[in-house]
Amino acid sequence: MHAALALPILVVPPRAGAAELGEVGVAVFGYKERGLMKVTEPIVWGKGRIGEDWEVAASAAVDIVTGASPQLVSNRTGTPVQTITGASIDDRRNTWDAKVSRRFGEGTVSVSRTVSREEDYISHAFGVEARYDLNQRNTTLVAGFGRSNDRVRSSDDPLLDQGRRTREYLVGVTQVISQLAAVQSTLTATRGEGYYNDPYKITFTFFPPGQGLPLLTADKRPSRRDTLAWLTRYRQHFPTAGGTLQADYRFYRDDWGVRAHTLESAWQHSFGDRWSIRPALRYYTQAAADFYSPTVSRPEPAAHSSDQRLAAFGGLSPSLKLIARFEGGTTVEATAGYMHNSRSLSAGGGSPSFETLRAYYGIVSIAHEF
Amino acid sequence: MRLLACVALVLAAGCAPVAPYQRGYLARPDMAFEHSAGTAKALEKTFPAKEAASGGASVGGGGCGCN
Repeated sequence: MHAALALPILVVPPRAGAAELGEVGVAVFGYKERGLMKVTEPIVWGKGRIGEDWEVAASAAVDIVTGASPQLVSNRTGTPVQTITGASIDDRRNTWDAKVSRRFGEGTVSVSRTVSREEDYISHAFGVEARYDLNQRNTTLVAGFGRSNDRVRSSDDPLLDQGRRTREYLVGVTQVISQLAAVQSTLTATRGEGYYNDPYKITFTFFPPGQGLPLLTADKRPSRRDTLAWLTRYRQHFPTAGGTLQADYRFYRDDWGVRAHTLESAWQHSFGDRWSIRPALRYYTQAAADFYSPTVSRPEPAAHSSDQRLAAFGGLSPSLKLIARFEGGTTVEATAGYMHNSRSLSAGGGSPSFETLRAYYGIVSIAHEF
Repeated sequence: MRLLACVALVLAAGCAPVAPYQRGYLARPDMAFEHSAGTAKALEKTFPAKEAASGGASVGGGGCGCN
């Protein structure tokens, strides 16, 4: 769990007469890429209030990853294509987090800790966040700092053990606009240094006859990465229509040359007090990193990657969520989503070598407030 | 921080304060900025694992081998 932005001005018990003291929940997440990997993730979480001023929250999850992932990009046939090597993925990621918050009058301070462990990747992170309500709690300011210390390893190379350190900064504001609308805008900046190479990505470049032998090169990225992400979210309820518009926009840029825009819009429609349905559409587009290329030129550049996640492409992701709220505080949610990434969906022209990704996911969760 | 404080003041100046007893609609679960806990946790790494961009809403989430 991140040091996420809660909205104290909106924290009013959703059930009439209820005084929410806490919540426990369980969820199962499933993800499947067409022809590639599959992820199954059971999740548990809980949070509770202690007295008037303290709140604690924690969650844990296990990612079970199976299938295959592209490791080699080769232009042997004349056109660069991703190739799945013989090795199959069979990985498990264990992660947990905890967050403690204390309220001081109009202010709240939260401290969080997150740990993630895989065979080839370990991450230890913490975050601290301060919020302050003003203007009769119609406005909330937030500032945060986070730090992550990661170790990158490889199941193919037992000698690989490299570090990556990231510092994160957050500022934001939440504003109530009217009895029916609110907006939130947050800015995060990160500064990272260390090992960013993907130890599993390899580029195999063939040159025209007479121009030398083929070149087999490992992924080689800069050892620093500075990022900036600006996220703005808007919520507007329409009582007569019985629904709420949820609109999010994020601008992202980093010093690797990536520029990305994410736009997500959803309409959550309520049928009485129990049932709600939430159709949503997410659009994403990004420009390629400066050092992305499906082939390697001579002389070999200082930084190079054929990882197509650094290519120029766009994506459309529709999803549908069904929500049922029962008497006594139990909520059941079921979400089905589809992810389609392709070069033709890029707003600024996609990388010709980008190979279309099609994936499906589903989430089922049960939460109980007490 | 100063820029955001200015934005907040401008927004606040243009918005009539909403009293606590008038926040019934604002307190609805569908007015929350975050997904519910289970959905948020499930989707935390899903899109960042396939895209170059991430972040914007929080700090302290840590990394993973997926990206």
